[in-house]
Amino acid sequence: MKVRSNLYRKESYYGYLFVLAPVVGYLLFTMYPLLYSLYGSFTDWDGLGQMTFIGLDNFKDILADELFYKASFNTIFMMIGIPIEITLALLLAMGLNRKMFGTTTFRVIYYVPVISSLAAVSILWQWAYNGDYGLVNQFLALFGFEGPNWLTDKYTVKPALILMMIWKNIGYSMLLYLAALQSVPKDYYEAAQLDGANSWNIFWNITFPMVKPVTFFIVVTKIIGGAQIFTEVNIMTPTGGPEYSSATVVFYVWKKAFENLQMGYASGMAMLLGLFIFVITLVQFRMNERSSKDME
Amino acid sequence: MKKSLLATMAATIVLGGAIAGCSSNSQTEGSTEAGQGGTKQISFMFRGGPEEQKAYEATVKKFEADHPGVKVKIITTTGDQYATKLKAAITGKSVPDVFYFDPGDLRAYVNAGVLKDITEYVKDVDFDNLWKRGVDIYRYDGNNVGQGSIYGLPKDVGPFALGYNKDMFTAAGIPLPDKEKPYTWDEFIKVNQQLVKDTNGDGKIDQYGTGFNVNWALQAFVWSNGADWLDATNTKVTIDDPKFAEALQYFADMQNVHKITPSIEDAATLDTYQRWMKGELAFFPVGPWDLATYETLPFDYDLIPYPAGSTGKSATFLGSLGIGVSSSSKNPEEAAQLVTYLTASPEGMQQLVDAKVQIPNLIDMAEKWAADTTTKPENKAEFLRIVEDYGKPMPNTLTYNSEWYQLFFTDIQPVLDGKVTAADYVKAEQPKMQKLLDKAIEQEAKSKK
Repeated sequence: MKVRSNLYRKESYYGYLFVLAPVVGYLLFTMYPLLYSLYGSFTDWDGLGQMTFIGLDNFKDILADELFYKASFNTIFMMIGIPIEITLALLLAMGLNRKMFGTTTFRVIYYVPVISSLAAVSILWQWAYNGDYGLVNQFLALFGFEGPNWLTDKYTVKPALILMMIWKNIGYSMLLYLAALQSVPKDYYEAAQLDGANSWNIFWNITFPMVKPVTFFIVVTKIIGGAQIFTEVNIMTPTGGPEYSSATVVFYVWKKAFENLQMGYASGMAMLLGLFIFVITLVQFRMNERSSKDME
Repeated sequence: MKKSLLATMAATIVLGGAIAGCSSNSQTEGSTEAGQGGTKQISFMFRGGPEEQKAYEATVKKFEADHPGVKVKIITTTGDQYATKLKAAITGKSVPDVFYFDPGDLRAYVNAGVLKDITEYVKDVDFDNLWKRGVDIYRYDGNNVGQGSIYGLPKDVGPFALGYNKDMFTAAGIPLPDKEKPYTWDEFIKVNQQLVKDTNGDGKIDQYGTGFNVNWALQAFVWSNGADWLDATNTKVTIDDPKFAEALQYFADMQNVHKITPSIEDAATLDTYQRWMKGELAFFPVGPWDLATYETLPFDYDLIPYPAGSTGKSATFLGSLGIGVSSSSKNPEEAAQLVTYLTASPEGMQQLVDAKVQIPNLIDMAEKWAADTTTKPENKAEFLRIVEDYGKPMPNTLTYNSEWYQLFFTDIQPVLDGKVTAADYVKAEQPKMQKLLDKAIEQEAKSKK
């Protein structure tokens, strides 16, 4: 049996106090709104007045809603940016992990967009994509291409948004990879070189597996974040783009809740999105566990 | 020891409760705090561009000076964040005492008990000297808008007039448009075609006739052709009317057939707005909120009526934004005083008009303002004609929500690109829009219970 001293008690008492603050915050600002929204999703509620319980009617309507599918498709489509971003971030990190002139400057350059306000960045890119005066088309014109009006064409609006998001976020993933690369023991590389491994072998058998936990972390958080894209879309294409081609699920939820007085319906969509994120994340964790076992 | 642990935990929970209390009940923070020396505090939430915010903040200062004992707490947001913030405040039951609201939300807010009936507080207002159309959209008797109690007063009315670049006409040697008699649609195309030019001889067109944004300018063409989005009862979507299709086709043909506007993709407002400001467009809409900005235009411009379709009469929309009082306000009288000061008092109005962010709400002041032809545009009287005579409210403000109306513009791009005819479009779109409108009507009925 443990002997409990007064000192120990006192410490635990402060411990509880410190633990309590975030727990109360979580219950109040996360759990309560979540449950409220869950209840809201079963009601006919305009966000202003009475909530009338209607069971699963909202979900029936959502599953028959063309625009909901369109927005879901757009959201998933825009996740194409994630593998591109991760690959580029890893390559960049490996490049900047060498001893060469100017690496610090480059690290800063790539990280600046990450800490910039997303709203400001969106407005900046909105200008860059302008069909007439935009930087992007002026750049293309140097090579004799005539660029489209990126944000008002349903075929270019999604790639345009993806490109911008990669630019905005790549510094974050790069920095994580950089930290991971620096913690790979140097002896591994030396040993491999002595054994005559080429650089591909070294990358595939040492670097890649060693940074795998970081890759896993980035993939999971990116997909969660990707499912919730809103600000960029809302600022750059405030009407959801031509024929709703850039509207995401969160954008559609926001439209319904705050513009069309259908808070109950919007809550229902938010619940479905939450469920989607939960399931995807669960699957990823399972897959990660399995592949970790394979490696052993 | 154990006791004090419990005590601390209890204290923390109480503290947490207090935080919760703040978040759900903060309307008290704005309105009931009696403050020092018996001053009453009211909160005022509004939106606008930097110029407008400055003008309104200064006017509120003056209100405080004229009403000792009332302090106004200002909450501002940019235009695009306003609706979200206000609706979040309503859901969280912390509605500001005085706030802007969209006329389209009037019924929802009244039915949900958010807006206060201020009829008895505004008895002293001289309604004969206020734009009737501006005031009537804030009257509601529980069934119809336009009659009954007053739930707000117009911040302003926004007549969306048509402007033209005078210098461009003079340079091309084309007689200036008649400010009394609108162009017919054919005449409008012809005069535009004369103005599409390659001015510097590099083989590329750099001066265009016009470039309208479909969201804001299509109404002028539809209405002047005798068609509309809704029937008289606001319960039926009427876009499948051939006259509607004709107007929409005319609008799309300006780009695709007559080539009087910048290329298809460039129709977004930003581009044409910039082109107009650079003097590359002959015709462009002008709202009163643009006047301060347009003072610096490098050319002379003036206002004319919109080209008229088969009715022979011009049409355009008359926008407005209301200022109302929260039904939960603890100081409704002071709140209503602020509303009337901002909307109907000569002192408040003069200050806002001088800041060039709106046309006067007071008819006598507006007439004096319009008669002054020394400031641009010369024909300001056109603004007043829209307000008094031919301006109409936007269709989306006539229904409980505007989802049905938004769908029309969401799907419209193929028509503007010339890939789908207007006739086919309206036929395919009408049932979808009707379904959403039916839903809105159903929703409204439920909200009255």
